Amino acid sequence: MAASEHIVGRGIGNKLILLSVILVAVIWMLPIAWTLLLSFKPNSELMISTASAFHPPYTLKNYTDIFQSSGVFRWLWNSAVVSIGVTAGILILSSLAGYGFARAEFKGRDIIFVLVLLGLAVPEQAVIIARHQIFSDLKMHNTYPAIILPGLSSAFGVFLMTQYFKAIPKDIDEAAMLDNASRFKIFWKVLLPLTVPAQATLGIFSFLGAWNDYLWPLISATKPEMFTITVGMASTQTNFAQSEGLGFLMAQAIFAGLPVFIVYLFFQKYIVRAVAGAAIN
Amino acid sequence: MRKLTTALLAGLVVTAGASAALAADKTEISVARFFGACEADYGSVTDVTKANGECGIITALINKFNAESTTTTVKPEIVEWPGYDQLTARIRSGEPPVISVMHEAVISDYSSRGLLEPLDEDFAKAGIDVNDMTDASRQGVTKDGKIYAMPFDTHTWLWHINMNLFKEAGLVDEAGKPILPKNTDELFAQAEQFKEKTGKPYFISTLANETAFYTRTFDTLLYQQNVDFFADPNKVNFSSPEAKGALQLLADIFTKDLTTKNQDYAASVSSFAAGEGGVFICGTWLIDTYDQESKKDGPLANGYAVTAFPQIYPGSPRVWADGHSWVLLKQDLSDAQRASAIEFMKFLWDNNYEWARTGHLPVRKSIIDSAEFKGLPHRDDIASLAVNGTALPSAVKRQFSIQEIEGEEVGSAMRGDKSVDEALTDAETRINELLANAK
Repeated sequence: MAASEHIVGRGIGNKLILLSVILVAVIWMLPIAWTLLLSFKPNSELMISTASAFHPPYTLKNYTDIFQSSGVFRWLWNSAVVSIGVTAGILILSSLAGYGFARAEFKGRDIIFVLVLLGLAVPEQAVIIARHQIFSDLKMHNTYPAIILPGLSSAFGVFLMTQYFKAIPKDIDEAAMLDNASRFKIFWKVLLPLTVPAQATLGIFSFLGAWNDYLWPLISATKPEMFTITVGMASTQTNFAQSEGLGFLMAQAIFAGLPVFIVYLFFQKYIVRAVAGAAIN
Repeated sequence: MRKLTTALLAGLVVTAGASAALAADKTEISVARFFGACEADYGSVTDVTKANGECGIITALINKFNAESTTTTVKPEIVEWPGYDQLTARIRSGEPPVISVMHEAVISDYSSRGLLEPLDEDFAKAGIDVNDMTDASRQGVTKDGKIYAMPFDTHTWLWHINMNLFKEAGLVDEAGKPILPKNTDELFAQAEQFKEKTGKPYFISTLANETAFYTRTFDTLLYQQNVDFFADPNKVNFSSPEAKGALQLLADIFTKDLTTKNQDYAASVSSFAAGEGGVFICGTWLIDTYDQESKKDGPLANGYAVTAFPQIYPGSPRVWADGHSWVLLKQDLSDAQRASAIEFMKFLWDNNYEWARTGHLPVRKSIIDSAEFKGLPHRDDIASLAVNGTALPSAVKRQFSIQEIEGEEVGSAMRGDKSVDEALTDAETRINELLANAK
């Protein structure tokens, strides 16, 4: 009797939790659904009242207008190059640094590691003028390297990979050493494959961060042909987009978010694991 | 037949080649601008009369220029409004555009650092008659006695009025004109009457998420009392009874529920169109938008009027103003590039009437006086603004930042977050600290 009451109680509890989760999910999705709905409405109607979103007419013009902007495919390409470049760079550098901090013995290692971690506390805005001047002096603005290179110094990436390498038992290294494997071979062939979950986590966060980045591309990529999708989309907004071009603005938001949404669809398993892992750590 | 086809093909090839050669001979200049992108609607429009709105008209103007000029091709580089972070970054990296659009309030920040080319001589050679510039626009582009920009428009602060609600409130005279306040007592009396008769607030105001309403309205109220709060361009002075009175007036409007609250720009624009209040204090740029609304069924149907900011203090009818202008960035330009830049500016000057269709005021006296301009909807009602529009003195630096600080402090007093005295003192302190560090 007591056991069945316990099971019933647990069932009700689970249902309540499920209901709460659904409620939170709906609340979270409302702004996105609202954005999507507004993106199919003519701008002139939305200027009078956004309540018009609940009834026809609907239109695809806001989306066709995006595609008729001459730079949009170039901006997508630029964003893809930058995001992939940043992601690949961070994965390579963070893995190497993480391995070094986790396995190599050298003088000042802990101090250097702390210095790297201090990078987490320095916001981009604090160094952006100095960074801009460096790239100006190098005459590198409006190039892919200028947009990609600053993104490669990922303190978070180094920290994550260091912790991950540290968690791998050293016995594995020692076994490989007994087989005469070089240090690089141990790193490349033995340990690196074991860090794939961490790499996936880091890769996803890096890609999303690079894709959504706005401030640095805004001041480094100042020629329209070098705009990323975030900067390009912003440039096409009219001065009073929120009132007179709201539908177009919402269509832009959906369009710019689509690639990220697709990435999420393919990698959601890793993203969920990454977020859960970060929370546990 | 085959010969004819061959001849036609040859002709096409020659024509295409000639066109390409002609295009190659043209000097290309980059023009950075905001106003958005609207290639979908106006990408190939060269007949400017068929374009509407800021984006449409500037796009069509550039298309027309590129189609007509035999020497110059303009390459528009569209940036997000207002674009000054990007422009400064471009200058620092040594790749500025040849021409850029610039608010007149910002020119002194760039001219004082030697980043802009003075244009007096170029204008004289090109036939741009500076004496035809309105006083407001000429003052706006003149810094230290030199002209640093080609003015494009003057935009000011005014009252958009819902005449249908005004009728309901009994605030329309026999001539069908809105009855407007002539002093602060009348303002409160009429606003209360409006609220009582219509059940709606007299004012619609943009009080959330931006500072423009506060600064522009407060400045206008100071101008109306002839307060010279920037007698010293390096130091603001809000320690006057007039400033205190003006701010108290705004605070009273808020506490007496005579205005909408918590609306951002988009919400307030919609709110007026939806008939949720009688007066929307905003800018010239909405005139055409609301005029179009008044031609449709709805709260504004046949019931839209616009008027200059009513003078509620004895003093002067002056009102806050700024303007868009075009500057030539200092850089190593060839003679051909400079000539092309001036050619484009002259084209914009010649077509200033077209730009005035946006709702902004023209910068040429000859256009303001023209029957063509006066024939545009409501323009006769606001032509005085071209004379009364007042910008901050040109020697005042960091005007955008100053307006931001001023707006924050005025807003905090209006909403009751700070006392009037506290807000005025804080505004003064913060602005003077900013100016003390301004180079």
